[in-house]
Amino acid sequence: MSEIQEIKNRITESETKAGRSLWYYSWKRLKRNKLAMVGLYVLSFMVFVAIFAPWIAPYDPNDQILEFATKPINFKGEVLIKKDLGSNNELQYIPIKKIISSSGNDINYIDYNDADKTISKSELNEKTPFKTLTFLLGTDRFGRDVLSRLIYGSRISLSVGLISESIAIVLGLILGALAGFFRGTTDKVIMWIINVVWAFPSILFVIAISVVLGKGFWQAFVAIGLTAWVDIARIVRGQIFSIRETEYIEATKAVGFKSPRIILRHILPNCMGPVIITGTVGLATAIIFEASLSFLGLGVQPPTASWGQMIFDGYKYLIAGTNWGLAVFPSLAIMITVFAVNLLGDGVRDALDPKLTK
Amino acid sequence: MNKPLYVQYYKFLSKAVQGDLGRSYSTNREVTSTIIQRFPATALLATSALILSTILGVLIGIVSAIKKYSFVDNFSMVFALIGISIPQFVFALLMALIFGAILKWFPISGYITEGWSHLVLPMVTLALRPLAIIARMTRSSMLDVMNQDYVRTAKAKGLSNAKVIFKHTLRNALNPVVTTLSASLAATLGGAFFIEYIFNWPGIGLLAVDSILKLDFPVIQGTVLFSAIIFVVINFLVDIVYAFLDPKVKLS
Repeated sequence: MSEIQEIKNRITESETKAGRSLWYYSWKRLKRNKLAMVGLYVLSFMVFVAIFAPWIAPYDPNDQILEFATKPINFKGEVLIKKDLGSNNELQYIPIKKIISSSGNDINYIDYNDADKTISKSELNEKTPFKTLTFLLGTDRFGRDVLSRLIYGSRISLSVGLISESIAIVLGLILGALAGFFRGTTDKVIMWIINVVWAFPSILFVIAISVVLGKGFWQAFVAIGLTAWVDIARIVRGQIFSIRETEYIEATKAVGFKSPRIILRHILPNCMGPVIITGTVGLATAIIFEASLSFLGLGVQPPTASWGQMIFDGYKYLIAGTNWGLAVFPSLAIMITVFAVNLLGDGVRDALDPKLTK
Repeated sequence: MNKPLYVQYYKFLSKAVQGDLGRSYSTNREVTSTIIQRFPATALLATSALILSTILGVLIGIVSAIKKYSFVDNFSMVFALIGISIPQFVFALLMALIFGAILKWFPISGYITEGWSHLVLPMVTLALRPLAIIARMTRSSMLDVMNQDYVRTAKAKGLSNAKVIFKHTLRNALNPVVTTLSASLAATLGGAFFIEYIFNWPGIGLLAVDSILKLDFPVIQGTVLFSAIIFVVINFLVDIVYAFLDPKVKLS
């Protein structure tokens, strides 16, 4: 067996063998960091809530009971439930203030216009004609349950955050790797694009892109992704500049491996640490950007619940001093999520880069 | 408007370099003069907030670095992390709620023409994020420098603690802080969008948000372009300042 062939085999073997890697030791270090683990638990909880939202949320987030609009925390509203008429499967609520009498076949009640009304029992649901709805965090201006909207809003925040950051990482990895590996003209062109994107304050760039693309769900994460990739690309490029000078890369070239294989299997895995660190920070930023976009009415469109939009809606009530919860609860939700991501991000940074821990 | 896109773009560019950004769809005023008229408010807000955040941030950073892992350190670092985690508009709302609506210490909306107290809430709100970043920066770069040999030498010489910290450590630790500061300055001078919007502060940011909500494209273009120019100019100036501050950096 020739010597070159032997080296080739050894490198191929190292490609497939996992072993106790950097990741194993990093994960051990991360587990010891209490704050980071708190962040991880909170974040896992959020993801759990987002995935199982339909089972966790007490009500449908878009069910409107206009009579119950902007009610305070722990509001209990009484309703009569109409019979399910089959065709449209929705329950029909009749909000009532009080039942006066329910004798025989009729129920006598006072509705929200203070009118005295009577309804036949045969029109009502047989099993539960009467129900008290509890709104733990109150209701918004359409009488929708704030808690349910918060729970459904986590889906938007997390998914836009994750998807846009994934777009950013993929774009950043590809362009950063190309620039770093091939240098020369490729590098110049890519760096030029990076510098152009960098010249704009990022939130402004996000807003500008989403104004061009129009309002909506996918527009939001495309806009954020197209802005955030530059951070990743710069890091990857810098990493590759130093890694490609190392001896083990020289070895792969000497035995005649092709560029894609060198980049994918030998260079990129070795610069994943900084990418993950930047990615977690980017995730926090992406969540904030999504909230900012929907606060301006540019992100997800109503009636879909999103935290930024809930804050925008609730802002007027907060200033007027009528119902502070409408703005404060979604604000808290964003804060807790971003705080958890940042705690985790700090921990990941310390775990992946032992030089930094003091 | 019915010309091809590249012709329109060429027209826009050739007018823009002459300082003509067109007229607003909604008010029919010249975009350039509107931006110039709005700039002082933004500049006042940005500089005052950054002065506040630099002074406080560096102080907090120094104390945290000296008393590493003490209660003060942990407290201020968690505080700084919270400061980074709160979206600006959320913090603005909380400030408006607590100090404006509940305590009624400061007015929620308006400009300094109605009294300087109008500056307080937007300034403090805008200062939070750079303050948090600067505090974290100062702490970590102070810790870096404190392990250097020349600091140990300075201590061994028997210099007072204050002299070691301010003359030998802080001076060398401030470089990354200048970078952070310039980035914040560049970003906020182009308009603090959400803060200006929430506190109704008549600067570039409010102009930008208003125009976005009204889809007033000439104004959107103008404010975006203006922010980008500010960003580039500030970064250029900072590079020059750097060369003076740090002899290791050479302008090529």
